Amino acid sequence: MPTTLRIALLAGVLALVSNLIVLGFIQLRTHDEAISEQRRQVVEQGTVLADVYRTGGMPALVDGINDTVTYGDPQSAVALFDGKGKLLLGNLAAMPTTRGPVREGYQSALLRLEHAPPHEAAIVAHRLPHGEWLISGRTVGYGLALRETLERSLLIALIVAILLGLICGIILAQFVGRRVGKIVAVTDQITGHDLTRRIPVSRGGDAFERLGRQINEMLDRIGGLMDELRMVTDSLAHDLRSPVSRLRSAAHAAAEASDPAERDQQLTSVVAQADSLMRILTTALEISRSEAFTSRSQFSRFDVGKLGGELSEMYEPVAEEAGAALRFHQPQQPAELFGHRQLIAQAISNLVENAIRYGATGETIDVTVGEDGRRLTVSVADHGPGIPEERHDEALRRFGRLDSSRSNEGAGLGLALVRAIAHLHDGELVLEDNKPGLIAVLRLPLRGP
Amino acid sequence: MGRKILLVEDDRETAAYLSKGLGQEGHSVELATNGQDGLFRATDGSFDLIVLDRMLPVLDGISVLKALRAAQIDTPVLVLSALASVGDRIEGLESGSDDYLVKPFSFAELLARVNALLRRREARVDPADHRIAVGDLEIDPLSRSVRRGGKKIELKPREYLLLEYFARNEGRVVTRTMLLEQVWDYHFDPGTNVIDVHVSRLRRKLEDGFEKPLLHTVRGAGYMLAA
Repeated sequence: MPTTLRIALLAGVLALVSNLIVLGFIQLRTHDEAISEQRRQVVEQGTVLADVYRTGGMPALVDGINDTVTYGDPQSAVALFDGKGKLLLGNLAAMPTTRGPVREGYQSALLRLEHAPPHEAAIVAHRLPHGEWLISGRTVGYGLALRETLERSLLIALIVAILLGLICGIILAQFVGRRVGKIVAVTDQITGHDLTRRIPVSRGGDAFERLGRQINEMLDRIGGLMDELRMVTDSLAHDLRSPVSRLRSAAHAAAEASDPAERDQQLTSVVAQADSLMRILTTALEISRSEAFTSRSQFSRFDVGKLGGELSEMYEPVAEEAGAALRFHQPQQPAELFGHRQLIAQAISNLVENAIRYGATGETIDVTVGEDGRRLTVSVADHGPGIPEERHDEALRRFGRLDSSRSNEGAGLGLALVRAIAHLHDGELVLEDNKPGLIAVLRLPLRGP
Repeated sequence: MGRKILLVEDDRETAAYLSKGLGQEGHSVELATNGQDGLFRATDGSFDLIVLDRMLPVLDGISVLKALRAAQIDTPVLVLSALASVGDRIEGLESGSDDYLVKPFSFAELLARVNALLRRREARVDPADHRIAVGDLEIDPLSRSVRRGGKKIELKPREYLLLEYFARNEGRVVTRTMLLEQVWDYHFDPGTNVIDVHVSRLRRKLEDGFEKPLLHTVRGAGYMLAA
């Protein structure tokens, strides 16, 4: 399980890094503190002896040195040398070795105590008035030893911490691995074409539950889209069969016809069938274009009230021939929309054509454009037979033509196209009952720029 | 009245069919089979019309068109395309073409549009406010008044536009799609016979009380105004 291993290693490395930072801090602090403590002690001892000399003279200093050697801790070194570096008094075997010549004040040096190897030490040197050197210092041996112990324990702590980190990492990785594993198992089955599978989720709200729920929602949507796609493809294939077969028989009849007039008639029918096929394909294409929002770059600002008026004027004679009066109701003020003028025109004309085709028996068809500041509505109302409420959804679907007799007029794509155009404009198409008749309402939100 | 037409089309069959048809109409047709060649030939500006396929090898039709317009060559261009959505048509027109025809089309439709474009080029010298006369029909574009045999005919604004478009294409076939695009400025395909209804209304107004027909139906193609 490489994921588990990776998570465990990551936890180990994180433990290592964080512990190193903590240890480094401890090291730095203790080192600094040890050094400054030692310096304080050395300087203090030197100052005390120098004061003793200043107040009590050489005899008092000799006493002081002897006391220090006798009663001081074993690390402290104190000695008096003459100007030539010969030991006069104290527990040092020789003048300390410094980097340069011995100078006044605090410095580090190599001290040679009696009966011992040279030791690293910090010293304070004072030059007395007659050229003698008063040296007082402390070896750092003790500090070093302390530090070594400290470092050893810190190293052990570090190893333990890394081990603990690794163990935590493995436990964590197994937990994550188990949870993710469930999801992966399901998605594996889905890639194996079983779209009905869902990730088991309980009511908990942790990230894995949320992930699972989201994947499930995604699967629902994909399933829905695939169903629709299948439906559209099936219906398209089905709807193309009848015009294609009519086309085929017309072509056949034209080929067989001996009378030129009859052949002409059949050929005209061939062309008409081909045109009808093209119209179905173009509309289907237009719907998917609108749904993919590719034509939003052609949006512009225009007055829907004016457009509705023009279209009503255009269809008014057609309605009249079908036996209905088409009336247009204009909004109070210009109803400006930022949208696709041609597609909105097509949507309105589809609605009007539908009303004429199915509702012209109802004597009047009313086209109304209205605006309430937030959105714009275009409604087309007829007084024909209408569509029963429970079949409204079906009517809006692609190829959802309600009359089962698929005659040559239209392919049931009209309302689906209007709906797709509404979606392109973030709007909606709603069917309502006109009692009697049908009202198709196109609602489009007003928006910038 | 043969004209020089450049046909840029990569599909051999379509090209042969169009060359033959336009040739029979008395035009001389030169063929380019890819966009680059088409652009190269078109840049000398000697053609009266360019028929340009939208999807071409090497350089696509829209690029050819943009390059031509950028080079200030204003030869009328008719774009042919299998891209049929409203958005595609608008894009084709906005990139500088004078007309856009969706494949598949009838030859009658193509011919009507070719003739309208050639005619428009000729007519450019005429100021738009000249009176137009077709037989005993007189049209005054300035006052938008129409008389036939001296008798005034009352037309609605859209009916007037329809008639003026017919008159400017006198003696030539005008298709339903051309009318929808040019007179109403809609670029979609209506499912009903809306254009026919308007044309027959106009015809009644023009011909009622007169013996000689003016507005003729051309079977399988469209309409024609002729004395």
